[in-house]
Amino acid sequence: MKKKKGNREKANVVDDGEAVQMVANLITTKEEKKKDKSSKKKRKSQEKNNACVGIDQLGDEYEDHLQKQNGKYKKDRKMKKKDHSSSRESEQLVEMSKAVDEDEVYEIPSGDEDCSKGMKKWLTKYHQSRPGLKVLQQRIDDFIIAHETKLEQERKEKEARLTEGGWILVEHHKGRKKTTDSESGTTVGSVSQAVVEEKLAKKKSKELFDFYRFQKREAQKNELMKLQSKFEQDKKRIQQLRAARKFRPY
Amino acid sequence: MRLESLYWLSIQLNLNNGIVAVKLDEVPGLFIRIIPTATSLFNLSKLNLKQNNVRALNTGDVPQPTPKYNCSILEDMFLEENSKFVKKTFSEWEELGEALILLKVWARLRSSIYVHDCLNGFLISVIVSYLVAQDKINHDMKAMAIFRAALKFIDTHPLWKHGLYFPPAGDNAFSEEGNEQHNSSTRVNLAFRIASVAYPELQDEVALTLRCLEKCRDGGFEEIFATKIDNAAKYDYCIRLNLKGNSEVYSLGFCLDDECWRVYEQDVHCLLNQGLSDRAKFIRVIWRNTHSEFNVENGLSGLGSEPLFIGISVSSVEKAFRIVDIGPNAEKKDEALMFQKFWGEKAELRRFQDGKISESTVWESEQWTRHLILKRIIEYLLGRHLSLLKKDIVQIVDQLDFSLLHVGKDPVSYSGRLLGTFEELSKRLRSIQDIPLRVSSVQPLDSAFRFTSVFPPEPHPMATKRVDGARVHNFTPFCVQSLEVMIQLEGSGNWPMDDVSIEKTKSVFLLKIAESLHNNWGMTCTATEEDVDVFMDGYSFRLRILHERGLSLVNREIGRDQMKWVSSADRKLFIHGQHASMINGLQFCYPIFGPVVRLAKRWLASHLFSACLAEEAVELLVAYLFLKPLPFNVPCSRITGFLRFLRLLAEHDWAFSPLVVDINGDLSQNDEKEIDDYFMQSRKADEENTQNKSKAMFLATACDKASEAWTSCSPNPLELKRLVAYARSSANLLTKLILQNQTDSHGWECLFRTPLNLYDAVILLHGDRLPYPKRLLFTSELDQGRHVAHGNPSNAFHPYLLPADMKGSLEQLKTKLMVNFDPLRCFIGDVEKEFSDGLKLWYDSLGGDAIGLTWEHSKKREREESELDRKYPVDLLRNVGEMGKGFVRDVYLLKAPRLTK
Repeated sequence: MKKKKGNREKANVVDDGEAVQMVANLITTKEEKKKDKSSKKKRKSQEKNNACVGIDQLGDEYEDHLQKQNGKYKKDRKMKKKDHSSSRESEQLVEMSKAVDEDEVYEIPSGDEDCSKGMKKWLTKYHQSRPGLKVLQQRIDDFIIAHETKLEQERKEKEARLTEGGWILVEHHKGRKKTTDSESGTTVGSVSQAVVEEKLAKKKSKELFDFYRFQKREAQKNELMKLQSKFEQDKKRIQQLRAARKFRPY
Repeated sequence: MRLESLYWLSIQLNLNNGIVAVKLDEVPGLFIRIIPTATSLFNLSKLNLKQNNVRALNTGDVPQPTPKYNCSILEDMFLEENSKFVKKTFSEWEELGEALILLKVWARLRSSIYVHDCLNGFLISVIVSYLVAQDKINHDMKAMAIFRAALKFIDTHPLWKHGLYFPPAGDNAFSEEGNEQHNSSTRVNLAFRIASVAYPELQDEVALTLRCLEKCRDGGFEEIFATKIDNAAKYDYCIRLNLKGNSEVYSLGFCLDDECWRVYEQDVHCLLNQGLSDRAKFIRVIWRNTHSEFNVENGLSGLGSEPLFIGISVSSVEKAFRIVDIGPNAEKKDEALMFQKFWGEKAELRRFQDGKISESTVWESEQWTRHLILKRIIEYLLGRHLSLLKKDIVQIVDQLDFSLLHVGKDPVSYSGRLLGTFEELSKRLRSIQDIPLRVSSVQPLDSAFRFTSVFPPEPHPMATKRVDGARVHNFTPFCVQSLEVMIQLEGSGNWPMDDVSIEKTKSVFLLKIAESLHNNWGMTCTATEEDVDVFMDGYSFRLRILHERGLSLVNREIGRDQMKWVSSADRKLFIHGQHASMINGLQFCYPIFGPVVRLAKRWLASHLFSACLAEEAVELLVAYLFLKPLPFNVPCSRITGFLRFLRLLAEHDWAFSPLVVDINGDLSQNDEKEIDDYFMQSRKADEENTQNKSKAMFLATACDKASEAWTSCSPNPLELKRLVAYARSSANLLTKLILQNQTDSHGWECLFRTPLNLYDAVILLHGDRLPYPKRLLFTSELDQGRHVAHGNPSNAFHPYLLPADMKGSLEQLKTKLMVNFDPLRCFIGDVEKEFSDGLKLWYDSLGGDAIGLTWEHSKKREREESELDRKYPVDLLRNVGEMGKGFVRDVYLLKAPRLTK
């Protein structure tokens, strides 16, 4: 099963490659197309004919496509069988959808009366989301109050649970106003970020890194390791470049 | 052996040296060129450079010297000898041969120097042999060292002035071969073809290559030996002159020292050089007047039908965009007269601010058409002096401008006013007193503030304090684009701790600010729970607050792994802010940066890649072109920049190397190593986890070394593949358009027309229900596939104010204005929410009317297969169409999904 999946992915990639080719062709041939309008007209009429039998054609094309792919994976016979069964399925599917629609173009109503979908919905949504500053203010206030009470309640519940277990929560209230956030150690409010960073930088510079001999040795070793890893990376890159065959002088 | 064909050629376009080329049947691609030599036909003493050998050429009765003609005969005489010498030098010396190949590859990739009046293969081998004879190259040198030595020689030795003689002067090593009989004046100058005007160009190319050797990754291998430097990508302005049937070219006759085409080249060069003065760094005029089907029997009449190519490298954008050229002082009569004669009616006497009265030329031009000044000058000069008609001058300058115009005008012309308004806004914001914390800084985020928005907003007549009724007209749009502005507040310890409360508190602050702005200045504000927009002088600004606590956490997030603490909204804002200021700084250094980004963005959007590549990523990609231009110079025109952008997309090795955009030039080696490590990590992770590949496009900057900001989710590898393919074909088309003679605009439009048949299904929208219908480049139509559904336009929304709307009071009208309303975005959002695992959408967020759909095969879908089976594909498409009621015009099915079972 796994193997099959892998193959499928490959097929996907191949398909994409083809699309890419088509782009290249299309963009370059566009002008030519314009020039020979007559042939285009022919093609158009052909296409119109095709449109009638469009679905069958699509199925056929699809099968063709698969066969092409099968050619590529001839080795895997099992795969081929599976593919065939799936293509049959797709035909069924296409027939099914044909039965549904009877070749008619489905008419989408403009939906001006219906607010559940489409343009009307977006417009109503837009207008509903802008009730005015006062209302918004009120809403947010309500939300915050609700949110706070919720948090408070949670806290109380937690406390209650703890007391039930025989624990008592001791709170510390005294002392000066907090300037640092207890969890992250960052400054809040009065002390500016820049000052803290400066302090940190100063602290760092005081440490000596080449005091002991083993430190020096380690540093050298690290340097060497770095160089080695860079060398390995470069080697790998050259291999990649070679593999990509980018260098085409002639 | 059978001859396939046999035809006439000439050496380096010089008809004096006619040769025969033979193409053999058996070996495709092999040509044999038969070069006649004349070893003993001419008298050497007559071929001195100062001698006249063309009888018709004389002024009065004094015959003029004909150095070129003499040289070409001398060349024929000593050809055998010279090639023998070259052959001898190269025999049994492997490194030298390799170096020669490198040099030839190098030269061939550079079409501006590998031409008739500059380098050619033979000359390169001669130069190398010369260096060997001079002992500049010895046997210890490796191929690369020889390559470098040869370049250094070309750089320092002005070949056109000194010439290149064999054997080198003062060297008697070859005297036994009979060279001693002619003194230096009659020896062949083998570099006689190198023109004095071509040499600076050659020198510049060599200098660039030497810089590549020093600075680029892998010793500059890719830049030097694997990047094609063709004229289209090299020159900022490309011009083609159609001279077919122009009799003036031949007015001097054919009996000249040089051929008439070469003389004409020189004339054009001189003229432009004088006219453009310091605006241009290099001007290159190349006329490949013979083509392969040239037949001697038809005479010279068929020659010159190919267009003449002019390439101009601009010295600096400021100079090229200069409006006034100051000529000589009026008191210097002779010079002033010359000036007048040269410029004709364009010359005018002007008094300047410093009191000087001088002759001058003035090219009045609006700010957004400044890039056309050069075009106007060239057109004027060529018309005046060479009497060329406008239709015969094809200048590649403004052909892509159509994609950036809105109602016939480039909207970037409003940017000055926008910046002024923003200044005023930030002043007002900072002066607000009646909120608990004061505003400490205001920073613009939107790309319109840094001139990189494709459509910066035009001032809206109703988004002001007092609506000016006179300016409200029939085509006043209903929608206003809102521009993001970031605000920072004073620090405070009273902020809540959890994310939800922080965001709500921010909203409260914004509402307060809005209220205050309304009370103090009478500014109109409109708000939702998330956004607050304020109107000012025709613009709408969307305010956002950056909370400093989030910011300080961002700074350390790498070190302590505190990702969970960073509020994501703050983080995004912070990254946006950093990017905005970075790009804004860059934009001031390179005035052409903005237009190139805009073209790039427009191109991506019109090929429905809006969802794949973030706006900011495009800006970084283009920034890379300006920061690391090697092996080119920095691009100085929008088309060249755009072409290089396409090539970068198409040619960069996305799979194996990161793209490092070093905006301030401050990345150290350690930083680069770090980036490389991140890159390897992410690629390794991809190898292990093939399902979910990320960062297919790895874009690293100084503040985002792991490429997390813009390209972490999109484009994915498949999208990138498509993107690269589109870029490649567009780049090829653009190159062709620049270099070959196509004057119709259709070809240029094709660059922005996307083929719709490459999708599995296509949805077309009602163009007149888009918020800005004028931005649509082409109305999309489809004549293939199966028409699945058709929809009628909704009457609830119109992009423009209707006469009925205008009957009400203006104040009432103002409330109807819609800020940032975009039905396309709503539609895409709805569809993606519903069908995200079965469909992929490709769309144009800049105002396209087509959406491409491709089927996606995801795991999730496989499981739900049975349920979805029934829906596919027609019903599904109808459902999608239903979701866009009133907006969707047509739905087409091109390819049924492949089933995976």
